[in-house]
Amino acid sequence: MSYTFSDNIHISEMRSAYGEALVRLGGENPDIVCVGGDTTDSLKTKIFGEKFPARFFNVGIAEANLVSIAAGLAIAGKIPFASTYAAFVPGRCLDQIRNAICYPNLNVKIVVSHAGLSVGPDGASHQQIEDISIMRSLPNMRVLVPSDSITVKSLIKQIVDIPGPFFVRLARPSTQENYSANSEFRIGKGNVLIDGNDLTMFSCGTMVSSSIHASIILKKEHGINCRVVDMYSIKPIDKGLIIKCVKETGSIVSVEEHSVIGGLGSSISDVTSEHCPTFVKKLGIVDVFGESARDDEIDQLFDKYGLSPKEIVKNVIELKKSDRK
Amino acid sequence: MHNMKRFLEIKNRIREVRTLALMGITEAGSGHPGASFSAAEIMGSLYFQVMRFDVTNPFSQNRDYFINSKAHSAPGYYATLSLSGSFPKEEMKTLRKLNSRLQGHPVRYSEAQKHHSVPGIEYSGGSEGIGLSISVGIALANNLDNRNGVVYCLLGDGEINEGQIWEAAMAAAKFKLDNIVAILDRNRIQQDGFSDDIMPLDPVKDKWLSFNWDVSEINGHRVEQLIDELKKKSLGKPKIIIANTIKGNGIKHMANNPQWHGRAPSKKHLPILIKELEGEYMIAPSIIAGDDGESYESKIEKAERVGSDIIHLDVMDGKFVPNTTFFYDTIKELRGITRLPFDAHLMIQNPYDALDSYIDAGCDVITVHVEECKDEKEFEKINNKIISNGVSPGIAINPNTELPEWICRYLDSLDVIIIMSVNPGFAGQKFMPSVLPKMRNLIPSLRSSGYNGYFEADGGIDLSTISSCYEAGCRIFVMGNAIFKSPDIKETIRNTKFLLDSSLEKELLRESESYGIKDDWMKIRKSVLGQFNSVKGIWEQ
Repeated sequence: MSYTFSDNIHISEMRSAYGEALVRLGGENPDIVCVGGDTTDSLKTKIFGEKFPARFFNVGIAEANLVSIAAGLAIAGKIPFASTYAAFVPGRCLDQIRNAICYPNLNVKIVVSHAGLSVGPDGASHQQIEDISIMRSLPNMRVLVPSDSITVKSLIKQIVDIPGPFFVRLARPSTQENYSANSEFRIGKGNVLIDGNDLTMFSCGTMVSSSIHASIILKKEHGINCRVVDMYSIKPIDKGLIIKCVKETGSIVSVEEHSVIGGLGSSISDVTSEHCPTFVKKLGIVDVFGESARDDEIDQLFDKYGLSPKEIVKNVIELKKSDRK
Repeated sequence: MHNMKRFLEIKNRIREVRTLALMGITEAGSGHPGASFSAAEIMGSLYFQVMRFDVTNPFSQNRDYFINSKAHSAPGYYATLSLSGSFPKEEMKTLRKLNSRLQGHPVRYSEAQKHHSVPGIEYSGGSEGIGLSISVGIALANNLDNRNGVVYCLLGDGEINEGQIWEAAMAAAKFKLDNIVAILDRNRIQQDGFSDDIMPLDPVKDKWLSFNWDVSEINGHRVEQLIDELKKKSLGKPKIIIANTIKGNGIKHMANNPQWHGRAPSKKHLPILIKELEGEYMIAPSIIAGDDGESYESKIEKAERVGSDIIHLDVMDGKFVPNTTFFYDTIKELRGITRLPFDAHLMIQNPYDALDSYIDAGCDVITVHVEECKDEKEFEKINNKIISNGVSPGIAINPNTELPEWICRYLDSLDVIIIMSVNPGFAGQKFMPSVLPKMRNLIPSLRSSGYNGYFEADGGIDLSTISSCYEAGCRIFVMGNAIFKSPDIKETIRNTKFLLDSSLEKELLRESESYGIKDDWMKIRKSVLGQFNSVKGIWEQ
C-alpha cells in the first residue's frame, strides 16, 4: 500500500462518505439503525433518515440520552450508529459510554465529526482535542481515526460486522484522498503510505495529508527520507509495525490534531517504551485550548499550533540535527 | 412462557427475597438494604407474576425486559432472580465478594461476563439515571421488529435528580413508546437524607404528566395494586407508576431511616432480623360480619379504606354448615369494586364440583374444608385444580378435627392452612381457647415438616384473642364483628396492628436475650421500642 503522487488531488468530505456508507449498508442490513442529536445535517446521517425513516431516531440535544438509547437498541439486537459532534461525545456522556456501552461490551458504533482544531470558527469550546485519549482508555472500546473518505467507507463497512463498541473520529473539512478505491484497511493495522529510512512519521486523521506534504518538502529540500504511516487504527494499534519502523528508521514523529497527552503519540510511546525504547517526538496540541479561525485561516491556525506541513518540517529538521535521532 | 404464581405464594416469596437480600448484605458487610426492601414488592410482582420472562431462556425474542436503573437495589434484585431460578439461593452468600457472580451492582449477562453475572440481567447498572434511556432504545427496537415485549424500568426517586432521566422522558413521549412501563420507587430517601431536603421532586406526578406520560399512583408494597397497574397498558404513551414505598420496609428500625440507605446489619443481629421478617401479617376482614343491613360493597370499601390486606369471603351452603351466606355469583359481582385479594373460604359440600365457578369469579385464595375431602385422592384433585389455575390453595380444619396424615404430602403446594377457632356457621361466635394449644402444637410441627405457607386464624378473633394466635404462629387473621361492629374501624385496625407489633417486639427481645445480645439489640432498636413502651415495661418486669 503506498501513496501515489499525482497532480490530480481529489478532496472529499469524510462525513459525507459516512452518511453514504450508512445508507448503502442500511440497505443491506435491516438491523442497522441510526441515532442523531440535532446535528444530523452536519453528520450527514440525515440521508439515512430520509431513506430509512423508521430506523432513524433524532433525540434532540441530549448526548447522554443519545448514546444510552443506542445501548438499548444494541441490547435488543440492533446495530446502532450514534452520531453527533466530537465536542459533546464523549464530552457530555463519558459515564454513559463507560458504564452503559463499554462495560457490557454492547454493539454500539459511535461516529463523531468536527473533531480537532479544524472545526475552525466555532472556537475552542467545539475543538475537541481530548477524545482519543479519553476513549482509548476505556476497556472494550476501539478507536479509529480515518484520514479520508475512502478509509471511512471501508472502516464503517467493517465495523458493522465486528461486534462491540467502536469510536470513529471524523473532521469537518474536506480532506485529500490519500487512497484509491481498491486500497485495503484492517482494524489493528497501519498503512505505510510513503517509504523512507531516515525516520517514521506516524499520523492520523487530517494530519495524514499534512504529513505527506511535509515528507515531500523534507525529501525535496532537505534530502530527508521520511516514512509516512497512516495509523487510522489507534486502538487496537499496530504494534508490529511500530517495532519494525523503529528498527528500520530509528526515531519517530507522531502527528495528530489532538492533545499530545494520551493520543496517537502516547499510544505509540506506550509500545516503544515497552518493546523498543526510542525517541518519539509528539506533534500535537501541547496542553492548551485552541481558538477560532475563519475557514480561510485554517492553515494559519495549524501554523500557530505547530501542525502545518511547514511546522512539521521544522520539527523533523530539528530532530535530525539533535543527537536524539 | 411464564409460571403464573399464586397471590400468597408471591407474598411468601417476596418475604424470602428480603431474607435472602439481608443475608447477602450481612455476609458482605456492605450493600443497600433500604432500596432492596422498598422495591421488593415491585420486583417480586414483575418476576413472580407479570413479566413474560423465562430465566432458562433469557434471550428469547418476545420476552419482557426488566431494566433495573436503580441498580443499588442489587441484593433484592439478585434474590428475586434467584427465586426465579437464575441461580442457587446459597450463592447469595458470595454477594460483593471477590470472584462472585453477584457484583456490587448488576452486570449484563453475557458469555464474556458469565463469571460476573447471572442469567436474566439485561443491564449493567450502577451509574444512576441511564436505565430509562436504555429502555427507550429497547422499546424502539421492539417496535421496529414488531415484538410485543414490554420494557419495565425501575427508577429511584433520588435517581430522577439526574437530568438524563428527563431527556429519556421526552424521547419516550416523542416516540409514543407505550411499550415502556416505568416504576418510580418513591421511598423519599436518598443517600444524604430525605429527598425533600436533598432535592424536592414534588409535584412529581405533574412533572411526568407534563412530559406527556401516563401516570398512576399506588402503594408500592401492595402486590395486588402493583400487578393490576403493571398489566394495564396505556395507549400511545409511555406509562409510569409512582409506587409509594417505605425505604427499608420490613425491618422497623431500618424503615424510613436514611441511615440504612447503604449500611449492612451486624451479623449477630441477622437471626433476629429474619425473625422479624417472618413476623409479617395480614388482616382479612370477613364481610359476613357486622350489620346485616349493610351491603357487602360498603363493607369492602370500609375494609379497603382502613388498610386491610385481604377480603375474607365466608361461603356457606346451608348443608356443610347450617347457615347460608353467598356464592360465586356474589363474589363475581364484588370482584370489580376492589383490587384487594379475595380469600374464599368454602364451607360447602362437594367443593370440587364448584371450584370452576369460584376460580372464574376471581378468587385469589380458595380454601376447602378437610372435613369435606373424603380422602386424599379427593383433596389431590381439588388442590391440583386450584393450583393449575394460578389460585392459592388452602385447607381449613374445624376445632375438633385433626389434619389427616396424608396432608404431609401437600405441604409444598399448600399456601394457607386455616385453623378454625369456632365451629363454622355463624358470624359473631366466641373464640374457643382450646384451639390455642392445638395451634401451638400443630404450627411448629408442620413447620418442621417443611410447610412454608401461611397459618390463618379464623373465628372470634378480636383484640383480646389475636395476640395469642400471633404468638402461636398465625399470620393471617380473619376478623369479623371486631371490625365491622366497631364504632371506629380505623382505631380498631390501628390497635390490632399495635398489639401484633408489640407481640413481635417482645418475641424479638426474647430472641436477642437468647443470643446474649439484648442490650445491643435494644440500642439498635431504640427508635422502635420507643413506640412500645409497654413492651419494654413488660420485659423489664
